[in-house]
Amino acid sequence: MSLLRVKNLRVTFETENGPVQAVRGVSFSLGRERLGIVGESGSGKTMTGRALLRLIRPPGRIEVDAMVFDGQDVATASERQMRALRGRRIAMVMQDPKFSLNPVMTVGAQLTEGLRQRDRLGRADARARAVAALQAVQIRDVDRVMAAFPHELSGGMGQRVMIAMMLIPEPDLLIADEPTSALDVTVQAEVLSILDRLVRDRGMGLIFISHDLRLVARFCDRVLVMYKGRIVEELAAADLMAARHPYTRGLLNCLPRIGGPRGPLPGLDRTGAWAQ
Amino acid sequence: MSLIDIAALSVTFRANGRTVRAVEGVSLCVQAKESYGLVGESGSGKSTILRAICGLAPVSGGAIRIGGTDLPTPRGRAFARSVQMVFQDPYASLHPRHTIDRTLSEPLAIHGIADSDARVSRALDDVGLPRSFRFRYPHQLSGGQRQRVAIARALMLEPGILLLDEPTSALDASVQAEVLNLLSRLRVERGLTFVMVSHDLAVIDHMCDRVLVMQHGRAVEELARDDLAGARMTTVYARSLFDASADRMLGDGKGPPG
Repeated sequence: MSLLRVKNLRVTFETENGPVQAVRGVSFSLGRERLGIVGESGSGKTMTGRALLRLIRPPGRIEVDAMVFDGQDVATASERQMRALRGRRIAMVMQDPKFSLNPVMTVGAQLTEGLRQRDRLGRADARARAVAALQAVQIRDVDRVMAAFPHELSGGMGQRVMIAMMLIPEPDLLIADEPTSALDVTVQAEVLSILDRLVRDRGMGLIFISHDLRLVARFCDRVLVMYKGRIVEELAAADLMAARHPYTRGLLNCLPRIGGPRGPLPGLDRTGAWAQ
Repeated sequence: MSLIDIAALSVTFRANGRTVRAVEGVSLCVQAKESYGLVGESGSGKSTILRAICGLAPVSGGAIRIGGTDLPTPRGRAFARSVQMVFQDPYASLHPRHTIDRTLSEPLAIHGIADSDARVSRALDDVGLPRSFRFRYPHQLSGGQRQRVAIARALMLEPGILLLDEPTSALDASVQAEVLNLLSRLRVERGLTFVMVSHDLAVIDHMCDRVLVMQHGRAVEELARDDLAGARMTTVYARSLFDASADRMLGDGKGPPG
């Protein structure tokens, strides 16, 4: 049975100029696998991720024919049921550590807060768990990071702190929204291998949202390509180079390559019927 | 003689009794009209070198010469006219409450350059932004448009040297392509010298003639573009960066032979 099933998801924002549909009928199902969602900014990939946790505030509106997580209907769940789900069963790593970590709390306090409040751990136990989580995301200088405020960390460090925080409650599904965009390639590889291990060892499902087609192809089992709120192509990651859709091909071709030609990079042609 | 000559540069930060040696004894030289890349992980000191050139980092040793002369501290107006910097995050590097017009005309006002009206219009044309954007605020622009504004601002004083700190890493792939194309065109048109920092080896390869690989504040290896493309690096670290580069996942067959 699939871990998550979504049918005809729509996210609409009411604006002064009438409703704007950010997500326009997205359907997919997810097993205990790594599913990539790629697209440019504004394609609706982040909104899709947030809608799965019902994290869209008015004037935004979520409409969906069916949204079922592990047998539980998420579309009609009460806010109380959603709170039990968020974090513990479905966790989300947000895009930007600058805005997603509390700027006036030390990293240590933020990491242990959930453990102390939710799991009722003692101070020393909570700290030990937090330290272990930071070590799991390859942070070497753990004592400094625990005592640091978010602004004292680099983007890559902050991102790893967020991943550590989300993995502490051991969720069944992790929605990672651009989790490695701020990281270096070698650190990125480490973080991806951490995520990979979790998916494999613990049977965690992963939705990996990214603008980086190359990364998604390397890391995920399956890829959904989104444009303007719709899925334009779904394909196995291994077949990405054989993608048919002009948008997917355009995204692939506009990337520079080592040893590639130095002429102007091809832009993305948005004149086709698919782009309307 | 090279245009930019950095000899045994060291930068040391001191805070709360801790000492961080961000750059240790890095030497490099950049020829006029060359495009020089700095690549490495975060914390490798690549951005700090750019900031040190601008006088924004505490230099603890070594020398930076531009055109054969030592730079004054503080840097002063003449420096601003010859060297400008484009920062990574176009959301943070533009003043949120200044219109594009004010952002672009401020350097002209500071330097007492007349004719600012025509220059601002021309600057917008040069970076491919419609003139109607002139009285907008940064929040009304997309990331790519903002980075175009940041590039236009850097070029207002017509500097010969542009320091680019991850200019496209906050942008979408298709927008990155547009901004890289814009930078390449401006470099040819104006004969600019680039020093470009990026963590993306493919971007550096596309833009730069030579690249310095850095790690933990030290220079690891300098590579000419052909040696990078041909995977002729001699250090283990440069090799590991090359192997981890995402573009290698796209398979072969698209690049030119050799």
